[in-house]
Amino acid sequence: MTDDATWPTEAVDYVQAIADTKLLLGQRYGEWMLKAPNLEDDISGASNAQDEIGQVRQLFRLLQQQGREESWLESDRAPDEYANAATLDEAAETWPAFVVQSALTDRAAWLLLDAIDHEDFTGMVQKMGQDEYFHLEHHDARLETLARDQAEDVEAALERYFPDILAFVGPATYGSGDDPLVGAGFTDRSVAEIRGAFHEHYVELFAGTDVSVPPLREDVPDPDAWDETRRRVGEGHVAPDVVDQLQGVSNREFLIQ
Amino acid sequence: MKYHVFTRDNAGDDLIHAGMVTADSDRLARIYAHRTYDEEDWEFMGIVREDNLIEVNEQPIAGGETR
Repeated sequence: MTDDATWPTEAVDYVQAIADTKLLLGQRYGEWMLKAPNLEDDISGASNAQDEIGQVRQLFRLLQQQGREESWLESDRAPDEYANAATLDEAAETWPAFVVQSALTDRAAWLLLDAIDHEDFTGMVQKMGQDEYFHLEHHDARLETLARDQAEDVEAALERYFPDILAFVGPATYGSGDDPLVGAGFTDRSVAEIRGAFHEHYVELFAGTDVSVPPLREDVPDPDAWDETRRRVGEGHVAPDVVDQLQGVSNREFLIQ
Repeated sequence: MKYHVFTRDNAGDDLIHAGMVTADSDRLARIYAHRTYDEEDWEFMGIVREDNLIEVNEQPIAGGETR
C-alpha cells in the first residue's frame, strides 16, 4: 500500500471519474425513486441515491486535498468537465434499461474504487463497500427476475450500455505490466483484470437465461481514441439542465455560505 | 410473493414482526426487507415466505365424527 501525500496525476483523474460517476448515479437514482414499479424499489432507489451522494462528499474531500478547487468540484463546471461514465449521460427511458444502466455503472465504479491501494482510502472503501453490497445485490436480484420476464429488453440494454461501461473501466491494453496506476502502486488490480472480472460476473449471472452478454472485445474502447481524463471515447456529456440540478443553480440564492 | 420480516434488538430477545414486503424472489426480498426496515441497528433480521407459515388451529380428531 502506498501512502504518498501527493497522488500521481492519473490517480487524481481516476478518482475524479469515480466521484463524478457516483454524483450522476445519485442523480439517476433520484430521478427513478418515485416512479419505480413498487414501493420497495422506490425506497431502495432513495437509499442508493443517499449513499452515492454521501460517498461523493468523501471523495471530493480527498480531491480537494490533491488541489482540486471546491468551487470547481461543486458548482463551477461545464457539462463536458464532468468525468462521469458515459452510460449516465442520458436518463434511461424504461425500467429494464434503468436497472441495466445503474447495475453496470454502480458495479464498475465499485470495482475501480475497490482496486485503490492507498493509505488515504483505508477504512473509507470498506465503509463504502457496506453500502455497495446492497446496491449490487438489489441490481442482480432485479436483473434475475427481469431476465426471466423481459429478456429481450435486458439484452438490448446490455448491448446499448456495454461499450460505454467498458470505456469507463478502461482499455484492454492496460494489463498488469502496462497499467500506469498499478505501476505507481496506487491500485493493485489492473484495468484488464477488472474488465475480465466485470464481464465474468454478468456471464455467470445470466447463465441459464435467454439473455446473452455482449462479448468482451479487446478493441472496446479503442486505446488510441480513449480519453484517460474522462474515461470515455468522444466528446459526449451530460445535458446542461442536469448539470444545473447537480449544482443547485435554481436554489443558489439559498446557499448557506 | 409476500414475505414476513422479523427482527430483534439483541441476541436472546424474542423476534418482533416488523412488517411485510412483496418481491419476485427470495434474493430480492432480502434487499427490500433491509432497505425498508433497517431504521434500527437490529441484531438480527430475517424473512419468511407467507406460504411457509403454518397455521396453528384446531383440526378434526382422527377417526371421529366431531371436532
